[in-house]
Amino acid sequence: MIDNNIVKTTLRQHMVLTGLRVSPALLAAFGVLLVTVIALFTAPYVGMADNGDFFRIIYSNGLYFNLPDYDSRYFGYFVKQFGIYQYYNENSSMLVSSQSLFIKLSLVINKLVFSKEVFDIRFQAGIYTILYVTGVYLLIEAVTCKMSRTRGMIVAALAVFIFGDTGYTAYFNSFFSESVVMIMMLFVFASWLLLYRKKYNDYAMLALFVVSTLILTTSKQQNAPVGMVISVLAIPLIGIRKDRIFRYLTAASIGLMMISGIATYLNISKEFVNINQYHAMTRGVLLESENPETELQSFGINEQYAILKGNTYYDQYGTVDVKAGILEKNFYSHYGFISILKYYMTHPDQMGSILNTAAKSAYTIKPAAMGNYEKSAGKEFRAQSRFFTGYSLLKEKLAPRTFGFILLWMAVVTGIYMPSFAAAVKQRDFRSMQRSMLVLATMLVGLSGIFVSIIGAGDADIAKHEFLFTQSFDLVTFLTLSSVISRGLFTRRKLPTAAQATPADTALPTIPTTDYAGPEKGVSV
Amino acid sequence: MKLKGMVSLLLLMTLLLLPAPAHSAAAPQRVLLLYDSLAKGTALAGNVAELQRLLAAYSTKVTLSSLDKYEKGVLNSYSKVITVINRSDLSITNEAYLKDIADYPGQLMYVGYNTPGPMKQALRLTAAVWPGGSAKLSIGGFSGIDLKVEEMPYIAASQAVRTYGRLSFQESSLEAPYAVSSGQYTYAPYLRQGDSSVMAMAYVLKDWLPSSAVPHTYLVLREIYPFSDLDLLEKVADRLYQEGIPFIASVQPVFGNTDFPAMERYLEALKIVQSRNGTILVNAPAVRPPINSNDYTLHDKMNAFLNVLIKNGLAPLGAGAESYWSYDKEYAERGLGFFDSAVLYPDEEVRYMDQTNVSKTFASSLYSLTTESLQGLSHTSHAMPQLPVNTAITAELPEDEAGINKLLQTLEQQWITFADYKQGAHKTVTEENTVVSADGVVSVNGVPLNVDYVPEAVSSDYQYKEEQIRSFTKLFSVQNKFFIVVIIAALLLFGGLMTIGYRLYRKKYLKS
Repeated sequence: MIDNNIVKTTLRQHMVLTGLRVSPALLAAFGVLLVTVIALFTAPYVGMADNGDFFRIIYSNGLYFNLPDYDSRYFGYFVKQFGIYQYYNENSSMLVSSQSLFIKLSLVINKLVFSKEVFDIRFQAGIYTILYVTGVYLLIEAVTCKMSRTRGMIVAALAVFIFGDTGYTAYFNSFFSESVVMIMMLFVFASWLLLYRKKYNDYAMLALFVVSTLILTTSKQQNAPVGMVISVLAIPLIGIRKDRIFRYLTAASIGLMMISGIATYLNISKEFVNINQYHAMTRGVLLESENPETELQSFGINEQYAILKGNTYYDQYGTVDVKAGILEKNFYSHYGFISILKYYMTHPDQMGSILNTAAKSAYTIKPAAMGNYEKSAGKEFRAQSRFFTGYSLLKEKLAPRTFGFILLWMAVVTGIYMPSFAAAVKQRDFRSMQRSMLVLATMLVGLSGIFVSIIGAGDADIAKHEFLFTQSFDLVTFLTLSSVISRGLFTRRKLPTAAQATPADTALPTIPTTDYAGPEKGVSV
Repeated sequence: MKLKGMVSLLLLMTLLLLPAPAHSAAAPQRVLLLYDSLAKGTALAGNVAELQRLLAAYSTKVTLSSLDKYEKGVLNSYSKVITVINRSDLSITNEAYLKDIADYPGQLMYVGYNTPGPMKQALRLTAAVWPGGSAKLSIGGFSGIDLKVEEMPYIAASQAVRTYGRLSFQESSLEAPYAVSSGQYTYAPYLRQGDSSVMAMAYVLKDWLPSSAVPHTYLVLREIYPFSDLDLLEKVADRLYQEGIPFIASVQPVFGNTDFPAMERYLEALKIVQSRNGTILVNAPAVRPPINSNDYTLHDKMNAFLNVLIKNGLAPLGAGAESYWSYDKEYAERGLGFFDSAVLYPDEEVRYMDQTNVSKTFASSLYSLTTESLQGLSHTSHAMPQLPVNTAITAELPEDEAGINKLLQTLEQQWITFADYKQGAHKTVTEENTVVSADGVVSVNGVPLNVDYVPEAVSSDYQYKEEQIRSFTKLFSVQNKFFIVVIIAALLLFGGLMTIGYRLYRKKYLKS
């Protein structure tokens, strides 16, 4: 430390705490870790109840429901232990998802340290927690890397408030693929932002970016557009470095991400499962239609199916079994993802109407339909945990529930980042363009979440299907708020820029002084 | 053609003259059904369920229990006990059962392997196991029915008083009775789901559960949905009516959107069915996978649907359901509690909500057989012999004209005398209505029902979406116009100022 350095207090990001230097990123990561450990690993354990979807992923990974009364816990209670198949598993190819990687890994650890017969889902939660906390650390590193200590700490606290919310982390104690989506989205966002910041090694960040995009895209069929959107908007990444190897590698990565998106999309048409297909029509096309009979005729379906308008698979009693031969032959065979997409394109009024329906659930992180406690905790059926859910509750209560607001939010955010993007384009500074590209990509990924949900399954299960949007909303809003905080919301004092730092300040040897100065100008309050 | 018409007329007249099955108000017979194993994954899988269905068709109240769970003294509450032994390699080890059975005074029936000592002595029985091959079964009016058997227990020798049917093994000259009985003991060694041994068992049970009622056979059309081809349903009804075949339509219930034109068309089609001597039975709803088993509104839903039917001049006279529905408290009480008559189909996908081991009984209950399974029942007489139990011959609604022809051809080939369900005594009671049938007369709330169909056009004009209530529309419209004028004026003013400003600017700085 240099004693006569007059700017060291504003630029130094580390707090010295009993000899340990605590950066905002470390503080945020520790905060999220602490909250998550208390929620998921101390009694009463918080998790998510099965909504009937778990079987698809667990059977194919060699697990089964070993509780005799498991059926009675659907929706109501979180179950933490499952049986491990001891014989040949014939369900091995039931569902292809990158989520299996994490289940398999936790299964290996479970077998090594706990049991060969019983799987405790907390091993999976442990892996997810470590990855998630790492993601939060990288994100805060990227966001606060040129902030003053105080503001960095404010951003860190905000990050704990948003990303430590148990609405997010409760998914770790479940077999919903939202856990993978959440972590990988965080990694994509953080690594892209770190590429923009030039904070770490570009090759390492590119690798993290590509791997997390691939895992995110292939984690569930609904994420097919994610790979495509990211690969297109990541094209300017090719120009951030001059060396050929980087450019080739980036171009190849973009190709790979696009292929993964297309492959996942092709997989959709094969496995567009009956339940979603049923809902896409009954809770989608027919739901908002002025005349369901006409709509059915336009698909070449018997108009009598109008009677199924609004029907859901989750009703315990129905006129017809979703797997019934009559539906296979005369109903499902007449429509698919593309024909429903075409339908919405040609019926914008109906699309607007269903988008508004979708917007009503677009801010829900943790669906209220699934309970969070084990039965042994003695809570009532479907009881929801309220531990550290301030952000999710606030968001759900305060966010306006119209699609118009989503568009407005997008317009405002785009407007905020546009000047810096325009400046970067003018200077042909590809690295400086990245933040705007990242924000745009995240918003489009979020929108794709909404569109795929309504096309793929109407408004059924929408709160869970729109997870991708709600997380994208949080990431972009968090970044914008951080930018606002870094500029000083309540003070007119101009922050000293990195360029003004004394070169002798050895505490900041890696922070570039010019690369990111331009884009910051775009954020105005 | 004339001859055919006369035959049909004669058949119809005979049916009309048939006496209605007497429904005694007496409590149903109670039977304890014990089994050592459900034989899942073996050739015998499902034989206990088949026995349950047969017993239901004889209107008995069955208590189902595994031998392992048998507790001392339980036997004494029943006058009839059936024990099914599906495991050839294990003998009964439950001491409480063995002790109770030794002193049991009631009727005992054994099915399967390992006949117990007292029964062997009483029937002077020697049982053996046939390793496998084909056999011919003859019983009642049926003869030479093919059976493919493996590890089949059979009666090698017995001096029982009564024998049932005859089995002849193809690969040898061996012949054996299908079942024997003497005093309190009855032994039927073989029962397998899906083959004709079930029919043979029906004959044995008819004797074991004495019933004076004359059994009838009915034709049931299944899989009738609101979105089935309703024109085709009408054609089937017409053709069956022309052929003089009374039938039952087991219709799928609808729990929502009952005011839609689609529902009205469904009801219109069912009215045509009813006018063509068809009887309406309400099928159990489809039960979705057990992901949401806390819906206790089945009673209200069924009640509402039944009332919609009745309000539209339709008379539901019973229920159709998979057999396991009668072993579920929720389904039996809240779903089937409206009916005293039912057709119980084989279980396809069992999804209990509140399982019980005691069955719900129906005053009139039909055992169901598909038209395909009839093909295997060979008989010497031209016409199909009367089946020993009230039976529903089930067929799915044909998919096209060719399907209708095929169905009628099958029925004609079998020469089955179908009875009219309305001739029997059936009662359906909802919260608002009571539907009763007896001797061919159907009445709703005491008033005879006129089944004549008067066609009614169903209008497709229906307002599916309620118009949103709008307040202050006039005010907002005026406000809109006002703001449009203000905005246009402001734009014009702004444009004007811009032009003036630009001109001033040009004048001042761009003089050249």
